[in-house]
Amino acid sequence: MNFETTIGKQNISILHVEGKILGNAADAFRRQMNEQLQTGRDRLVVDLMNVPLIDSSALGAIVVTLKSCQRSGGKLVLLNPQKTVREVLEVTQLNTVIEIYDTEEGACAAFI
Amino acid sequence: MAETILIVDDDLDILELLKMNLEPEGYNIRTANDGESAVRSACENPPDLILLDVMMPHKDGFQVIEELKNIKDTKNVPVILVTARGQTEDKVLGLDTGADDYITKPFDLREVTARVEAVLGRTRPIKYINPLMHAMGDKFSEEGLQQLAGHLQAAAAIQKKLLPEQAPSFEGFDIATLLQSSTSVSGDFYDFIPLSETRIGLVLGDVKGNGIPAALLMVMIRTALRLLCHEEDTPASILKRINDLVVRDTEADLFATMVYGILDITNSTFTYSNGGHCYPFHWKATSEMGVLKTGGMLIGAFEEATFSSDRCSLSPGDILVFYTDGITETETGSSEAFSKNENASTSAVERNMFYGGDRLATCISKNAELSAAALCDSIVNDLTVFSGDTNTHDDRALIIIKRNI
Repeated sequence: MNFETTIGKQNISILHVEGKILGNAADAFRRQMNEQLQTGRDRLVVDLMNVPLIDSSALGAIVVTLKSCQRSGGKLVLLNPQKTVREVLEVTQLNTVIEIYDTEEGACAAFI
Repeated sequence: MAETILIVDDDLDILELLKMNLEPEGYNIRTANDGESAVRSACENPPDLILLDVMMPHKDGFQVIEELKNIKDTKNVPVILVTARGQTEDKVLGLDTGADDYITKPFDLREVTARVEAVLGRTRPIKYINPLMHAMGDKFSEEGLQQLAGHLQAAAAIQKKLLPEQAPSFEGFDIATLLQSSTSVSGDFYDFIPLSETRIGLVLGDVKGNGIPAALLMVMIRTALRLLCHEEDTPASILKRINDLVVRDTEADLFATMVYGILDITNSTFTYSNGGHCYPFHWKATSEMGVLKTGGMLIGAFEEATFSSDRCSLSPGDILVFYTDGITETETGSSEAFSKNENASTSAVERNMFYGGDRLATCISKNAELSAAALCDSIVNDLTVFSGDTNTHDDRALIIIKRNI
């Protein structure tokens, strides 16, 4: 699993993740998101385009980060989850509490 | 989940040899060919064990150990040193630095396997209580480890006792169940709760993660269900109450997905609510496949979660199949699926890396004539064929309910 963070307009962090997020890997995923929050960046886009699969540990990381963002008045949105990941979000109905966008422009516009 | 071993050696032939030797033993293998990338890989996602070559250019094995022992996430990862040098001073230095064992090249592959298993056997109990150690932070002492290992065994025993030993029998229905656990405590669970002479509550769920926190939450949910479930309550109202209880009492990253439903034997209906759990299948004797989607969010993460119930009728020959994602996330053993040109735009399931719901549905349809127990066996066999491996790396639970013809 690889991560790359880019900072877009309005100080929005875009975390690009590559690879499956399963089991222990979710801890690294959570740390990456947390790093952004620690530096005061609580406007977070998580790019899931290159993530073929996530499990419940990854969902846990997303839920915790989402709540932290909400507490500090920020926001977490997901970008471009692929079919299998999208299905997991639908089954668990996390798609009803997290905004999901297909394009980076759309995701960033969510913060305006 | 399978245990992960990180093999570090600058000699690619040795990397390959060790990998080929250990992979068939059921371990996940990661490799690194220098000290720098070994440390990076270990920090990013700590393995269960590191097989570490001593003599490497730039950063040698001793330096790697020293760095790892100073990092919180990796300091407890056991290390076996591998080296061509057989001198005593190297061994002493290695063991002083914190290596757990030592293998000298040229090595006997059987010895490598035996040492790996011996070291993992020693460190496994510690790994299970790591989540608790994290939770306790600095208050935790090394002496507490043994005591905790004992508690863990007690927890596993309690958990086993809580789960029904065998599927209950109801007039007119054929029921089979399966529960496989990858570790001594499992996050998957099911239960049958008698509500009246003719109605039975049924729950199947999966608590996020594994280890003690997940097992404790599972026990809490199971106990709450037993206390809360009364005949007059709708499944949706039960899930809402469990949700609110878990939200109040646990951290945000502890949650569960589950289906709760009531099987009514008098009119052969199943009234259910699905809290974010993989959709159970309803195979109809008319050869149609339906899924039980109605419900709400995963349980225990959001206070504002709402739930609804739905009812399905079971005709003679109809089958309900409840399962956890340990089944659909079973990975393939075929190396063809792991093509080097991974194209991220094709999903893992499309490339058939994971068993998936579609294959499970197909397996159910093909074997729908069988008894519940035989259908359960067919699914387990199909999983074994798919993964090429009889070892279970995930928790798996399965309930099959078939209305007699």
